[in-house]
Amino acid sequence: MTDWARIRSDFPTLRRMIRGRPIVYLDSACMSLKPKQVLAAMNEYYEMYPACGGRSLHTLGQEVSRAYSAAREKLAGFINASRPEECIWTRNATESLNIVANCVALPKGSKVITTSLEHHSGSLPFVERAKRDGLRLEVVNAKNDGTFDIEDWKRAIDGNTSLVSVVHSSNVTGTIAPIREIAELAHDKGALIVSDDAQYAPHHPLDVQKLGVDFSAISIHKMCGPTGMGVLYGRMELLESMRMFLTGGDTVRDVRYENGQILPTYLPPPAKFEAGLQNYAGAIGSGAAADYLKAVGMDQIEQHEKSLLSSALRGLSDIEAVQIIGPADASKKTGLVAFRVRTVESAHDVASYLNEEYNIMCRSGWHCAGPYHYQLGIQPTMGTVRASFYLYNSQNDVKALLGAIRALVEASS
Amino acid sequence: MPAVSRNAECVLRILRNTGNLTTAGILEAARRPENADICSDCAGGDSFVVAANELVELGLITRRFGKGGYRWQLVSVSE
Repeated sequence: MTDWARIRSDFPTLRRMIRGRPIVYLDSACMSLKPKQVLAAMNEYYEMYPACGGRSLHTLGQEVSRAYSAAREKLAGFINASRPEECIWTRNATESLNIVANCVALPKGSKVITTSLEHHSGSLPFVERAKRDGLRLEVVNAKNDGTFDIEDWKRAIDGNTSLVSVVHSSNVTGTIAPIREIAELAHDKGALIVSDDAQYAPHHPLDVQKLGVDFSAISIHKMCGPTGMGVLYGRMELLESMRMFLTGGDTVRDVRYENGQILPTYLPPPAKFEAGLQNYAGAIGSGAAADYLKAVGMDQIEQHEKSLLSSALRGLSDIEAVQIIGPADASKKTGLVAFRVRTVESAHDVASYLNEEYNIMCRSGWHCAGPYHYQLGIQPTMGTVRASFYLYNSQNDVKALLGAIRALVEASS
Repeated sequence: MPAVSRNAECVLRILRNTGNLTTAGILEAARRPENADICSDCAGGDSFVVAANELVELGLITRRFGKGGYRWQLVSVSE
């Protein structure tokens, strides 16, 4: 039996008192809190071996190199990549998606498919690539509840499709896309599939091989790790065949100078995609975050969040003025709920009120998912409120949210 | 007046021209072409609300929660 109270105590931020009261942090879909174990791992790097990895042969340099490689192995294990070199360190999922969009070979005139539910980071890199290289971009509409009809995918993916980019778990509705089925449809037609796992990886067991995806984009800051860190998973043969994103130091095998010409030859992945001095502390912290989550157990985290989400969905459904965006069924979702309150015009007002009056920290706005909000007829300025749960949240947090929303409705009616 | 961000200038201009407004009213005004020269942040509006809150802390505007949500108003010089 998992001791969730002990886990909660690993997160120093939750000991803070603001305006004389504890905080209720429900914004993990944007940024997770950090456990002391991750902070200690990063601090250890800065205190004990803050040197360059890969290039300095002294003892500190060797220690960094070992820790950096070990962190990559931990992330590969976390998502079940077939080998660590298939995991590229990036700044975030956005950068991971941009690397794919800019560097993978796609035949001119072929079709790229994305969806109306994507985070801007999942669609815009492909919108721009399509414009640049004369590709056709097709958008599969999510249903208004954030789920997909697999028949729409069967119709959209054809022999001319070269790539499909789809959000695995929506940052607005929390709905989980049928990635495995979509991957099979894509592969049957010879297309590649990119899974935006920014919201999925922190909350569910993720097995990239079992899902059959070609690429997966992950943001470490959403999974108890440091900011400025992400991972791009790619199948090795694809990473090998892709163009480089950045070039420079640490990407090269040799740079010859002959007859006035500079002639580089480059290293294989992952070095090919990791130009320049790396964020060693970030990578080491990322490895520690993967260790931490694995030690708790991703199945346990998933179940814990489902329990919190079920309570939240039940309670919010009972408040007449609340409109839940997406299904009110926790089994179809990652642990988050977006909603509107009919008595308050702007979602920002709801989030401000919760913060000011109750120290309840939610996100408001369009969540970088403009197309889906427009699809629902919600102007970006009105937006939605999003409460997102993680392993350190408790049923008390859910109760606090529901009580505050009831008070808000009364105060605004 | 203390130096304020561009988004805060945007909020101040809107409130100077319109009197008191709801949050939605400010965000809609920020998207109008006549304010495009200083109100150019993301359509989601988060940053304008953050800027408005900064102005409250600076004592330049007030905010009151009531029916429909928050209303924002310039603090008059005589206050």
